[in-house]
Amino acid sequence: MDYAEANGVKMIIRTFLLSLFVLVFDLSAQVPAPRVQVESNPNNKGVDQNTTITPERSSEEKTIERAQEGLQSSEVGSRVGAAKLLGKYRSIKTSILLISALDDESALVRRAAMVSIAEHASNGFPVYDKTLAEKIYSKLGDPDVEVRREVSTMIPRIISPMRRSGMELIEINGRKVYRSVSSAMRPDLYKMTQDAFLDEDAIVRQNVLKYHTYLSVALPLLSLEELLSDSDLGVLLTALDRISSSASQPRIVKKVKALSKHANKGVRLKVVTVARNANSYHSDYRGILREMTNDSDPEVLSMAAVELARFGERVPEQVIKKIKDFLLGVSGLSTQVTTILYTVSSLGVDGAEIYKALTEHSSSQIRAIAWQRFINLSEGWRDSSVWLPATKDPDPKVRKVVLDGLRGRSNNLSEKQLGILVESGFSDVRIFAAQSLLDASQGTVESLGFDLLIDEDTIVRSTTIRAISARRVPGWLTIMKRSLLDSDYVIQRSAMDGLLEDKKEGVPLLIDYILKNPQSRISNLAKIELRKIGVQP
Amino acid sequence: MIFIQSFLIIFIASGSLVFSQNSTQANEGRVRIVQLLRQENSIRRYPDALPSLLKMLNEQSNARFDTDPLFINTLTDERLLENPILYINCDEQPNLEFPQEERDALRRYMEQGGFVYLDAGIKASFLGQDLGHSYAAWEERPEVKELFSMILPEKTFIPLGRDHDLFRTFFTGLPKNKDLEIKTEQKRLPETVLSFVEREKWPQATYSFVGIKVKGRLACVASPICAMGWGRDEFGAWIPPISFRVRESAENFDQNLKLASFSGGTYEVTREDGLKDIIYSENGQRPLWVQEPNGKWRIFKYYSGEEISNYAHAFYSRLGMNVFLYALLN
Repeated sequence: MDYAEANGVKMIIRTFLLSLFVLVFDLSAQVPAPRVQVESNPNNKGVDQNTTITPERSSEEKTIERAQEGLQSSEVGSRVGAAKLLGKYRSIKTSILLISALDDESALVRRAAMVSIAEHASNGFPVYDKTLAEKIYSKLGDPDVEVRREVSTMIPRIISPMRRSGMELIEINGRKVYRSVSSAMRPDLYKMTQDAFLDEDAIVRQNVLKYHTYLSVALPLLSLEELLSDSDLGVLLTALDRISSSASQPRIVKKVKALSKHANKGVRLKVVTVARNANSYHSDYRGILREMTNDSDPEVLSMAAVELARFGERVPEQVIKKIKDFLLGVSGLSTQVTTILYTVSSLGVDGAEIYKALTEHSSSQIRAIAWQRFINLSEGWRDSSVWLPATKDPDPKVRKVVLDGLRGRSNNLSEKQLGILVESGFSDVRIFAAQSLLDASQGTVESLGFDLLIDEDTIVRSTTIRAISARRVPGWLTIMKRSLLDSDYVIQRSAMDGLLEDKKEGVPLLIDYILKNPQSRISNLAKIELRKIGVQP
Repeated sequence: MIFIQSFLIIFIASGSLVFSQNSTQANEGRVRIVQLLRQENSIRRYPDALPSLLKMLNEQSNARFDTDPLFINTLTDERLLENPILYINCDEQPNLEFPQEERDALRRYMEQGGFVYLDAGIKASFLGQDLGHSYAAWEERPEVKELFSMILPEKTFIPLGRDHDLFRTFFTGLPKNKDLEIKTEQKRLPETVLSFVEREKWPQATYSFVGIKVKGRLACVASPICAMGWGRDEFGAWIPPISFRVRESAENFDQNLKLASFSGGTYEVTREDGLKDIIYSENGQRPLWVQEPNGKWRIFKYYSGEEISNYAHAFYSRLGMNVFLYALLN
């Protein structure tokens, strides 16, 4: 089915296309015999063996001319070969030659031509002319399934020219008339697209369903209804994606409801998404979600439940237990599990309980999310007994998430609480303990600060030095003075920064150090810093 | 290694698929795959791939894998020795240069029974920096060759025969309509594509794999990138789309392609039989055609679409499952 057969009423001559076709078919150059280049092989002396014949490659123009001849051959094999070869040369001429081959009587030639046209497009040379694009698209009605599949796959690449508006010169009863060309699809192609929704081939159906909105072709209600009963899973999932325009129709709601009990889990998960999105169009979608909280698959019921919770509905206790059991049983973070895990927050207090249970999950990724969410939902940063167990987690990423969330929020830790952190075997926890000295009571700082000062980890020690200098703990100047003598630059730097903050006692002590250790690396930096605050060392 | 013995007791269904979606989800006893990610913040190649494949393995066999791979950023990580399979996507690594201690650790791992799967460990030279191309060259990529010449200097990678057990550990043969979940009468691929796939690309569901034996056991395999075919989205649809590169012939191609206009470069790629194909490729274009050692010229044609992608995914997943189950059992 192409344009000429479908619209044989008027003779519309599209001048642009005609001129291009004339250009192509007038090219009837003779193909010259290939020249050969003879090369001597110096390693061999025999007459027959010592020469290799390397045929000289022809120019692109000649190659295309030869392929053009091939396309006109009476042999199908030659026409197929020519169509395949033309896919390698991107030009308007080759595009037109290939498009002309789409009307070949042999399906093999039409297939080869369509694959070559697709090759041009994927190599950055799509067809730009509206008429040519329409010609390609018209093959969506080709009797050969491979051709139809190829065209339907190409739809995104020919949408742009097909929807282009402009002017055209036509001849009516001998008179040349300019008229506007609408961006709308030609009626025959529109009808063909609507028919293709129910093509006998599932791939074609799926592609047309996927791309029909780009073409501005409406999906008839009856077709959608039929597609929602399609035996092909790909078509079914795509059809579910396309219900939005008819979501309020009771027939569609009924179909979606039926699919909520489909044997395939992927389809049921899709129904959850669709029912959530279509909730505003029909009240029954909420009912579908409620029913799906009884699904046999814990993943499906969990998805349905969290979507209901997002709408503000209270989820029954037994369903919450199932969600918890499901999440406790998963072995890792799939996309679906991630979605459920994050949306458990919408269950409110019940969600916090689920997160609490998940803080003991075997997956560290799940534990990290669970701890973060549990602390936030339960305002656990106020109560160290909530988060202290997280500091014992063996995975550093879990501890990092928790400690990052606590910084700046967890204040005034008691000596006992800080003591637990100080005794931790993990340096990141001890660093957090050192940082917490800034908010701790003076007695706690004095009691625990010294333990941290002799920590094996440099960062713990330097953080402690900064905390002690900030808190002006009795004897802090002595600690700074000694720290300046440390062999570790990071420690020296912390001590220097602390001393610079106290102009009355700290700065003189720093100047004294510089005078006694002029060659020290930290002395150079200290001189610069002192000058910045107007002190000449 | 203790783990080798413990894994042998895992039962794996054979012959037909065994669906076991309702089986217990307890994590204890599940096999954890170790995945090397030398730079955690680097761009991941197919991050959904391995978890999806492991999920499929759990659903379709009685083996139990933890679907959450254990990431390590150095081969000296002690957790490596606690797990039997190391997966490395070579395209995901900043480079394949490892310090001596990591090379020693990898050697020790293989000697003690560990299995290393180097995905994208084969990469044809003409692909250059292009990722996401799976081309059946029959030798490891140069970086892999260099690395293993330092790890196991006495060994070389040997191509795996088409009759190797790895290709039929669990699945045998190419996907049929039933496997693809499509109607019996539906064309699963265009004719020329199906013919090439069945006869040349993946005969009897095999692919270009090379491997190294350590202590008589296949301890390391390398393949063109397969992970691109393992991913599924949350609804079970395959991701990302995959296209096919197919060699096609036509009447007079032996003459026509020899004479056709061409201004690019040529690349040699090792075939299964050790001979070389000459690939003709122009800058900015995908390879045009190939001159085969028997004097035959064939053109590369490119096919994309749902059916192509679904078929490729089904194949790569079945192959991936065979590899991991082979690793587990051997």
